[in-house]
Amino acid sequence: MKISVITFFTLFSPFIIFGQNIIEGIVTDNSGTPIIGANVYIEGSYDGASSDDNGKFSFETSETGTQTLTISYVSFEAFKLTDDVSKMKNLKIVLRDDVNSLETVTISAGSFSAGDNSKISVLKPLDIVTTASALGDFVGALQTLPGTTTVAEDGRLFVRGGDAGETQIFIDGIRVFTPYSPTTDNIPTRGRYSPFLFDGITFSTGGYSAEYGQALSSVLLLNTIDEPTQEKTDIAIMSVGGGLGHTEKWEKSSLSLNASYINLAPYIAILPDRNDWQKPFETASGEAVFRQKIGDGLLKVYGAFDTSNFALTQEDVNQPEGVRFKLNNQNFYTNASFSEMLKNDWTIFAGGSYTYGNTKVGIDESDIKDVENSAHFKLKLKKRFSNRFKLNFGAEQFVTDFNENYDEPNFAAKLGFNNNISAAFTEADIIFSRKLALKLGVRGEYSEMFKEFTVSPRASFAYKTGKNSQLSLAYGDFFQQPENEVLKFTNDLEAQHTQHYIMNYQYSANNRIFRAEVYRKQYSNLVTYNEAMPDVNSIFDNSGDGYAQGLDIFWRDNETLKNIDYWVSYSYLDTERKYKNFPIEATPSFANTHNLSVVAKYWINDWKSQIGFSYQYGSGRTYTDLNEPGFLQKKTKGYNSVSLNWAYLLSQQKILYFSINNAFAFKNVNGYQYANTPDSNGNFARRELRPAADQFFFVGFFWTISDDKKDNQLDNL
Amino acid sequence: MQNIITYLTLFFTALVMQAQTETTGTANATPTKYQQGMNKAFQLWQEDKSWDAANVFERIATAEPDNWLPPYYVAQINVINSFTEKDPAKLKSQLDKAQNFINDATAISKDNPDLLVLQAQLYTAWIVFDGQQYGMTYSPKASELYNKALALAPDNPRIILAKAEWDMGGAKYFGQSIEPYCKDIQRAIDLFATFKPAGEFYPAYGEERAKQIQAESCK
Repeated sequence: MKISVITFFTLFSPFIIFGQNIIEGIVTDNSGTPIIGANVYIEGSYDGASSDDNGKFSFETSETGTQTLTISYVSFEAFKLTDDVSKMKNLKIVLRDDVNSLETVTISAGSFSAGDNSKISVLKPLDIVTTASALGDFVGALQTLPGTTTVAEDGRLFVRGGDAGETQIFIDGIRVFTPYSPTTDNIPTRGRYSPFLFDGITFSTGGYSAEYGQALSSVLLLNTIDEPTQEKTDIAIMSVGGGLGHTEKWEKSSLSLNASYINLAPYIAILPDRNDWQKPFETASGEAVFRQKIGDGLLKVYGAFDTSNFALTQEDVNQPEGVRFKLNNQNFYTNASFSEMLKNDWTIFAGGSYTYGNTKVGIDESDIKDVENSAHFKLKLKKRFSNRFKLNFGAEQFVTDFNENYDEPNFAAKLGFNNNISAAFTEADIIFSRKLALKLGVRGEYSEMFKEFTVSPRASFAYKTGKNSQLSLAYGDFFQQPENEVLKFTNDLEAQHTQHYIMNYQYSANNRIFRAEVYRKQYSNLVTYNEAMPDVNSIFDNSGDGYAQGLDIFWRDNETLKNIDYWVSYSYLDTERKYKNFPIEATPSFANTHNLSVVAKYWINDWKSQIGFSYQYGSGRTYTDLNEPGFLQKKTKGYNSVSLNWAYLLSQQKILYFSINNAFAFKNVNGYQYANTPDSNGNFARRELRPAADQFFFVGFFWTISDDKKDNQLDNL
Repeated sequence: MQNIITYLTLFFTALVMQAQTETTGTANATPTKYQQGMNKAFQLWQEDKSWDAANVFERIATAEPDNWLPPYYVAQINVINSFTEKDPAKLKSQLDKAQNFINDATAISKDNPDLLVLQAQLYTAWIVFDGQQYGMTYSPKASELYNKALALAPDNPRIILAKAEWDMGGAKYFGQSIEPYCKDIQRAIDLFATFKPAGEFYPAYGEERAKQIQAESCK
């Protein structure tokens, strides 16, 4: 006994006295490959080592007792082992991949994003505004992406066989009720909001998150800039008007203001178009974003006001003297949101918006006055359990109050409705490994107007098929209330419904991206009515249905040709539906089979210029030829347009900009208008619906004044 | 546009950081563990084993939670090595790591001009990697950081140098005079002559770089 005690001391006393323990082992990744250069150390001490070329490490420590050994290496999750130091021998450490890495698969089915660190970015921030055909309208830039249909006379987004009303726009997660300026037939509208205030755009053509509802086809998510980079003033002088922007920064807050005035009168005086304008289009708008840091949280308040008016006489096959149309619109939108990171990896987001829209329309002798008051409130919580599991849930409320006064000499009517929708959603993000990710969500909505409850499950899945390629699948159910034009006459309806099935393949490497997506959309419960134009006496029901299916291809290459960046989008669409007053299932006139866009940008260093080119082709769209039996049985000729632009940097902060749309003046016919009654030979006369002008020219001068003397407005063009 | 920015940023890529060569620890006193560790890290760095040096700095950072220098150097090594990194996944991992350590260091030492400059260099690494994608966002941010750093330390030659170098790139491209920035660089060189780091192991590099730029661009 005595001997063994002595032996014990003899054996171990050096360690006790000097406290030197040797820690050794090996570090590998999942597949057993040694990790070279991993940092292995006792936390809070100076003792540690880097792993050698075989992944092995060994070092002495004077620490004793229970300690924490940390093993870290870039792009792997750090590993911590807490144990008695004397037991840290012959360790076999396997580091797990850090899933917060660019190499991790991302769910890309259905969505395109433009932004900085997004892994699925197809557009860069500049593209939104330097695309030749877009004329500074971000909606115009998105129309060069696959999945959209060229409906040149409208200007809104038509996605995958869906009507323009099936796409909803959100600013900072909060719905925009009236995103486009109202207009009339054959005068394309523009998005109301300037690209100047946004730094992230996600455009989803299907299968989107459970957080978003009330959109059958698509959502467009815009995020305002969290923190402007510097104080500056932007001045724009354009052939069609002017603009002024200013950003002011303080310690914890900042304010950006933007005002613009557009008047087409001088332009139309020089280059008259096919309309007889009494009052050419005129609009004045102002936007402001205020941001305030509160503790760890950020409050953003966004407000936009615009007023526009015009009056014109448009040709009409039924009225030789033409139809007189005038419009006067005021729109106010405000949106406030607050987000904060809380303790234990919780994040809270609360926001709300209010929209006031007042539109006065005069068509010949009748006057229509619409007033819309809408609001949206949302509360969302997010818990990050780990890099691999995150949970989102929230609730929201939509409120719309719509009133219309209709007056003509012998008739007057008051119409209106209140529409309240309550919704709740939850969604989980699960990343199994860098190769496999899953998103599962569900959304419930209750409509007070219809006394109807709907449940929409959403699921998407992504699998990495190779170093640079991945496959994604998405499924979802989507519900949307009928539009104001229907709800003002009846509330005895149900929500319209679609189901999306999407399969997406994406390959990206070396500044090249290839995406191919096939989809099927099944529509049901679409609203139908029994007259050409709905009115108070129409009979409405939800007996419509339809489908859309197709293939979208996108290719972008910034590598092959020096100083040239280009992308090509192609969409194939097969769609038919029975809705509104369609007697049979047919392809609606806003949908066509083939769409192609080619966009290229060429930077000429010696000229300090960027030349932009964009070509758009849309195959013919359907129309009903009244002189032959059938419905939507004919197709127009295809649509072609080539747009060019040139941005020239006079100096670092002064830019001269020229653009021309439809440079080769292709003659495009968007459709035909037929007479209501046949002539003496029994023939219905018809009139071509041509764009108001075949071409559009634009000249602008943009000047930025900032302290660093570097910033310019290239990103606003 | 991407090319303008790439072009601009090429001027900033070569911000050669010389490892701290002098330590002011007195020879007589037994070096503390901290001094031993820091000296070892700088030695590794000089031997071109920058990743091993980063590992040592990282260990010191955990042992010295109130000292901003070890996390500063971890971040600096990750940033410098990112300028030549071509693999986007690796670049992001390194710059994420650098950002974490800058955040740690900033929590210890607020409004520190050296940390602001390092943050600006981190953004520059993104711009150099892909000017078109990152230039518009990060270039004004970097400018603002240089302005702020200079406002905090108007007579620090290293800050004067970093800002002058950044501004010079833009001026050169647009054919504007670089004269004012040459004056700044001369001023930095003059100030380097009497510059004393604020303490042991504090950043002290920059003089050679300033002379190099002067020789290349200002004569």
